[in-house]
Amino acid sequence: MNSATTSAGDVLRFKVVLLGEGAVGKTSLVLRYVENKFNPKHLSTLQASFMTKKLNVAGTRVELNIWDTAGQERFHALGPIYYRDSQGALLVYDITDEDSFFKVKNWVKELRRMLGETVVLIIVGNKTDLNKDRRVALNTAMEYASSVNAVHFECSAKTNVGIEEIFLDLTKRMIERAKSSESGNKSSASGPGRNRNILVVDDNQLRPETKKGCC
Amino acid sequence: MSAEAGSEGDKRIRVQISEQDFLCKNGCGYYGTPQSKGLCSQCWRVSEMQEKRKQDYAKNRSLLSFEKFEARKQTTDRRASATFRSLLRKDSSNQQGSPSPVARQQQHRQDQTPRSRQLSGESQQAREKFLSFLHGMPKSLAHDISRQTQHAIDNILAHQHIEIDELSELVQNFYQVMTDRLNKHPLMNDINAKVSPEEVMQEVEQYVCVRTYPVLFCAKTDEEVADLSLQDRIRSLHWVTAGFLETNLDYSNEKVRDRMDDAITEIIDINSRRGTADKLECLIRCSKSIFEALKDSRSGAPASADEFLPVLIFVILKGNPPLIQSNLKFISRFALPTRVMSGESGYYFTNLSCALQFVQNMNADSLRMPKEEFEAYTSGNQVPPLTESNCGCNQAIKSMENSAKQLAELIEKQKTMAVNIDEFRERITKETDEFMTEVRSFTRNYPSVDLSIPKSQPSSPEANRDFSVTVPTVTEAAVKAEENDV
Repeated sequence: MNSATTSAGDVLRFKVVLLGEGAVGKTSLVLRYVENKFNPKHLSTLQASFMTKKLNVAGTRVELNIWDTAGQERFHALGPIYYRDSQGALLVYDITDEDSFFKVKNWVKELRRMLGETVVLIIVGNKTDLNKDRRVALNTAMEYASSVNAVHFECSAKTNVGIEEIFLDLTKRMIERAKSSESGNKSSASGPGRNRNILVVDDNQLRPETKKGCC
Repeated sequence: MSAEAGSEGDKRIRVQISEQDFLCKNGCGYYGTPQSKGLCSQCWRVSEMQEKRKQDYAKNRSLLSFEKFEARKQTTDRRASATFRSLLRKDSSNQQGSPSPVARQQQHRQDQTPRSRQLSGESQQAREKFLSFLHGMPKSLAHDISRQTQHAIDNILAHQHIEIDELSELVQNFYQVMTDRLNKHPLMNDINAKVSPEEVMQEVEQYVCVRTYPVLFCAKTDEEVADLSLQDRIRSLHWVTAGFLETNLDYSNEKVRDRMDDAITEIIDINSRRGTADKLECLIRCSKSIFEALKDSRSGAPASADEFLPVLIFVILKGNPPLIQSNLKFISRFALPTRVMSGESGYYFTNLSCALQFVQNMNADSLRMPKEEFEAYTSGNQVPPLTESNCGCNQAIKSMENSAKQLAELIEKQKTMAVNIDEFRERITKETDEFMTEVRSFTRNYPSVDLSIPKSQPSSPEANRDFSVTVPTVTEAAVKAEENDV
């Protein structure tokens, strides 16, 4: 049951958590995506820890709630509280820092153990503008990603390369999961309780549309 | 009435001594005492018995209908509040028949049994707000919502002795059913509808929470104990300053200090609010203040979670907010799920949960210091040294800074004074010389006047230059002598 996908009207709402070591550029990544700015001096927002972005993907209206998490090692144990009920996770590492990649591997293991396959995992190598100092090979990262059923991207928040694609891909995958879990819910006649309704308007396929809860 | 100065005092005394006020409130003709709520001893005993019977009845009913051993254990703890609750229940059943709030109040006034209480101020206010909200909606819909909500409140009050988690389930079920009902309602789906089902649900939730707050909040005594022990723990961690948590706060900046004070005030304020939305708004305001403080600390760049969480932890340590865990549990049990799971409020709520867990589990490792050191500081055997990293937010630093500033000003003043003194000294020497030459010219012109002055003259100019202190007296004497002579 994809319980946190709440619907307001026909807008799908997704929770996406940002995980990764401190200083890998989690915040820059989101700021680049949401505000399209890199230099923090130009930003109008007060904070960069909770951001929302509204999208329209092939006719489906989506609202992304992007949750930044504290990356320091001492806060690692608090992870489960953050990523609970999230539909997507961006695991960010710095391509010039091998340790940050190992950290991502740990996160992947933990997320798969705690959330199973319900969560869309995207592994992102940031700072491609520093390619000359690269420590994590693209092939290694991609092979690892496919071995854990995750998607791999590389990007540069500084030069704005590949950011948009990451979020678009993530959103598409989350919509897919939401739809399949919705139809799953329907067939298994979920009882009363806390399941939320998902209203889906699908342009491509002729599925039963505007579904409204049980009972 | 006379315009005497003591007339007011007299009046007050007259009210106090009026015999009516001393008589038993039941009107039996005997005298009552304030200790027994204005009743005489006989009537007091009767009313006490009634009260007790009412309590026993409530207790028995809950035991019989739910067979909760847990509840039986807790009833002793709840006895004090049970009186209030049983009255509330009575109150709400009275209300069911009468639709308008005015009529309800009148009815309420009429049936004044001993010890009966009106709704609390908050409940009253919440009801007025809720009714005025419903007023703007189509009548049939408003009536349905109001009826369902009132039914739910009665239901909660009637089930107050069941397990708190079951109560949460009951409330959440009500939200779910109500939402479905609203979603299906033709008037709600009308394009012309002014309000969305979400908005209606927020009002309903607010009203339910405020009205049943005494039942829903902190109902388990062990949760209260947990909160008290957490407060003790925070007190023992008083030495953990912003530096230990590696926050980027610039505490020398007065604006930052003010923002942090705001944040601490807001987090403490959570406990004084009743509705989950109000509580969460306090938390959001607290978080905003923290972000402002971080922004002021480092030239305008927006702060990320890496910086936010340590400061939130610091705010908890400094503020030591009362019953914070119970408040969190209350929110997670009885708030609309969307509030705690998504949106801004959900994010900050999650962060607060994280921060509290961190504080609870805080140990030497999480502060990256030797275990012995941590133990010593926590037990109070040792005081952390004032290094630059951890003394940043010490209140004493503020006053020391002020003192240093004042000292610098004083030194500056002293310097200018020294300069002035030097100038003055120079002027005196110069003027002495001038006077001396004048005096000399005078004595030259009038040599016959007095012989004592010319005698001292040759030695005085040289000597005066070396010992300037003696100069004024000498000159003055000379001038005076000269003036006298003239």
